[in-house]
Amino acid sequence: MSAPPPPRQGFEVRSGAWLAADVLLAVVEFDLRHATDMSVPAMIDGSPVPTEARSAWLSRSEDDGAGRALFAVRASPPGSSRIELTFGSGPTTALPGPASAGTLKVDLRTLVREHLARLDARTRTRITTFLLEFSDAIGSRVDPLGLSESLTLMRDALRDPHPRIGPGSEGPTALRIDELVRVDERFFFVRGWTHDEQAPIVRLSAVSPEGSRVELLEHMARVPRPDTDRLFPLSGPESRGFVCSLPLDAPSRLTRGWIFELENAAGSVVEVEAPEPIDGIHAARGAIVSTLERERSPLSPVTEHVLPAVARLQERLAAMVEIEHVARFGEAPRSPDVSIVIPLYKRIDLLQHQLAQFASDPELSEAELIYVLDSPELSASALAESERLFELYRVPFRIATLSQNGGFAVANNRGASLATGRLLLLLNSDVLPAGSGWLSGLAGLHDATPRVGALGPKLLFEDDTLQHAGLYFRRSVALGAWENAHYFKGLHHTLPAANVPRPVPAVTAACLLIDRALYSELDGLRAVYIQGDYEDSDLCLRLGQAGYENWYRPEIALYHLEGRSYATAERQDNARYNAWLQTSLWGERIERLMSDEPGYEAGIMAADRT
Amino acid sequence: MTKRTVLYVSHNHPRVRPGGAEAYALELYEAMRESGRFEPLLLARSGKPISKIGRYHEGTLLTGVDGDPNQYFFYSEYSDFDWFLGTTRNREVITRHFADFLAAYRPEVVHFQHTLFIGYEAIRAVRNGLPESAIVYTLHEFLPICHRQGQMLRVGSEEPCSHESPRRCHECFPDIAPQEFFMRKRFIQSHLDLVDRFVAPSRFLRDRYVDWGIPADKIVVEDYGRLPVREGAQPGEPPNRNRIAFFGQLSHYKGIAVLLQAMKRLVERGVDVRLSIHGANLELQPQEFLDEFDSLLGAIEEHVTFAGAYSAEDLPALLARTDYVVVPSIWWENSPLVIQEAFLHRRPVICSDIGGMAEKVADGTNGLHFRAGDPDSLADVVESAVCTPGLWKRLHDGIEGVHPMDEHVERLSELYEDLLERRQGERAGRQATTLGAVPGAVVE
Repeated sequence: MSAPPPPRQGFEVRSGAWLAADVLLAVVEFDLRHATDMSVPAMIDGSPVPTEARSAWLSRSEDDGAGRALFAVRASPPGSSRIELTFGSGPTTALPGPASAGTLKVDLRTLVREHLARLDARTRTRITTFLLEFSDAIGSRVDPLGLSESLTLMRDALRDPHPRIGPGSEGPTALRIDELVRVDERFFFVRGWTHDEQAPIVRLSAVSPEGSRVELLEHMARVPRPDTDRLFPLSGPESRGFVCSLPLDAPSRLTRGWIFELENAAGSVVEVEAPEPIDGIHAARGAIVSTLERERSPLSPVTEHVLPAVARLQERLAAMVEIEHVARFGEAPRSPDVSIVIPLYKRIDLLQHQLAQFASDPELSEAELIYVLDSPELSASALAESERLFELYRVPFRIATLSQNGGFAVANNRGASLATGRLLLLLNSDVLPAGSGWLSGLAGLHDATPRVGALGPKLLFEDDTLQHAGLYFRRSVALGAWENAHYFKGLHHTLPAANVPRPVPAVTAACLLIDRALYSELDGLRAVYIQGDYEDSDLCLRLGQAGYENWYRPEIALYHLEGRSYATAERQDNARYNAWLQTSLWGERIERLMSDEPGYEAGIMAADRT
Repeated sequence: MTKRTVLYVSHNHPRVRPGGAEAYALELYEAMRESGRFEPLLLARSGKPISKIGRYHEGTLLTGVDGDPNQYFFYSEYSDFDWFLGTTRNREVITRHFADFLAAYRPEVVHFQHTLFIGYEAIRAVRNGLPESAIVYTLHEFLPICHRQGQMLRVGSEEPCSHESPRRCHECFPDIAPQEFFMRKRFIQSHLDLVDRFVAPSRFLRDRYVDWGIPADKIVVEDYGRLPVREGAQPGEPPNRNRIAFFGQLSHYKGIAVLLQAMKRLVERGVDVRLSIHGANLELQPQEFLDEFDSLLGAIEEHVTFAGAYSAEDLPALLARTDYVVVPSIWWENSPLVIQEAFLHRRPVICSDIGGMAEKVADGTNGLHFRAGDPDSLADVVESAVCTPGLWKRLHDGIEGVHPMDEHVERLSELYEDLLERRQGERAGRQATTLGAVPGAVVE
């Protein structure tokens, strides 16, 4: 190929291609003596449009003043037939827009082959980094998937390929990716195993389809994989497995194209293609949490990878959930003192049970009753049912339907966002009052208690034994963590020790009264826990940290018809995750709290007896 | 002043399918009309499984009953009925159809004979729509207390149940959590709370409901009223008083198996006794029961006459050929109508020594008791009944009359009037309170 002619008037576009419908990639030749300004104003179909651009040198020579740079430009709106770009002070270059027939001058593949593929390895790496930075900081507004696909194409052209291995491959090196999990665009989680009979492993890298690289070897957690022992009978038991969280420097959106590279000390490099990432929040969460199954302590290295990954998933889930619809039945009380928020999950039949009881207590018609439907698929039947139930029981209430299932914390927080009362009562749908007057009773106790944080009443099982008389934390040897436990659970509610009003480490959110402003100040329940567990103790711990006291008040009793939960493997995993997360967040505080807690011993003894 | 109205709500109409409680409801309705004390209305639920047909008019659940402007059939869908909670899943049955019916007639008194197949919410609909009305509810069996068709009979041991609790109910129905039973009770009671007065045909039944949580002062014991017998069954003078008979539903709960086993023992002992079985609804019974019935009957066929279903008009003739009526129920019973029938025709009763049966039959005076569920005990009692000279005559002479319908109507009318007066008093009281609260009013 002959040397290109020097640029006219300082700038000349040598090649251009669309990375996405609104992102242009251009190779521009410079005369450095004229080029001072690197901005890229653009006109689309004759009108100026905003642009965002990044550039990187491909080459520059101070001697003859020639330089060559790669420009990535996002110009909106897309769908135009003609785009005019001005590089710095140079002349305007008119290019066919993405909507015009054919591609711009050359297609991306040709651009890469002619201008980029033969550059030295360092420059190619620099280009990849540049593209990822662009993708991270600017990206595409309208066509992020197209951008990702273009980035994959470029990654494959700029990367040195290595021998691919798979399950049937011969050779001294084995690398298997069991599961790749997508937490969000910028965070993945991987589980797999490695084995090298030739030399120690010196590098293990993950490469996203878009080209992001994460080096795993230094920070991944090694775990035993006894299931692989029979494959390697000559080597002793070693921790071949690994789990690792993968934070990315640029978003990754494609399901295909993940590559893992493994290099050993003998200089041999192999790569494998990873299976498609597990997506969907619940599936992803299940896959990640299940890696805790073999762990025995929250301090294990695995936990360090699991906790942030799941917390991110939970936050992502929470952010996606909105109130889709609010239906009002009956006239709302004008200035309610207490707002009651009740999540409804699956069992919408519990609504009739609560309303049938609330109907006989005039206080409940004075309160602001907010049901939050956390099973949106039941919305139509729940609303039809509610209309009839209101006609019968005449207790005014609202039903807020969430856009999707969000879990206990999200449901309560969304409900609380509708509340206008001075006080906020979090109530479960399987809590039934034992009589009338309990609500004002609770509010009165709340107001009479200085520095009160959360206040919880006595809760009874259907046989008048205690379901709740305050929460405490119990060290579980098996879990190596602090678990939540209920004082005196299962003992008769007349037990004198269970009838002493007192500050306790925490109270259950099955029935929890709190100042609404205080609840908002603390951003409500945190959504990082799974399945309606530990959100309440976490709130109470935060209240304690902020200087408030959580109170158990046995003067008021309600029934909590907590059902038996079946110990599925998933539930056990979730319980372990919750306990470990809480311990990792609050371990020290809990330790201090429990050593000061006068009822601790009694609580332990009572709990052990049941 | 126009006559005040009482609405009777029943779970069936005897013209559709015979049944003791429903026959009584119709007789009460007719007797009340006769008495002129209140203008009666009868709303009888119909549809499956009681009747073969369902609703056949579009846009209404009502149809008329043979030209009587004060009687209606009320069709609710059986498939919508929730047996566990005793409610209808299609609440429009209550909030629209039943409520509209109430609004059209605005009865001063609503007297529920049953809410089965309609729903306990009907009570709340009355209270919502007619706040000044009086609500009366007759308790026939233990349906609100016991999920086992209101029988209070323990599953498995088949012993009568002394009291419910979520745990005990869960023992009978392991698939239903105790919490669900607790909610069931609270739910049903939240509706029964709105009833002004319950009518219990027996003291025994009243006591069970008081144990269960209904305030004692809300329940009056008032037996079913009976119309006078036009033609009594003449006893005749047969040589032996050895003809015993069973009348009623042929179901497990009625103790048919105990009776047949006792008969087998009597035959084995060589006691000369004959048994006639007059029973309906055998076809509705589970196969298990039918098999047991057949095999027990097979062993003693020559000594038993299986006569099948009967109607009220047949009773005098049937009882004329009967010396003793046997009521061997293994559940408590309430105030069995068959006992009233027997006494109306002056036939002594041999019955289980529990519940409403023991209450209504005085052992050694107008009948004999045996140990409930025990075929040996029943065999002994029957043997002594048929073999002891003069015993039949003594028991026959010990029978007093049963509660006459006109007295019953009088008692109920007084109850209605009393309740309405109280309601009026309350309303007056409320108005006085409101006046007293006017600012500046001087209260002396």
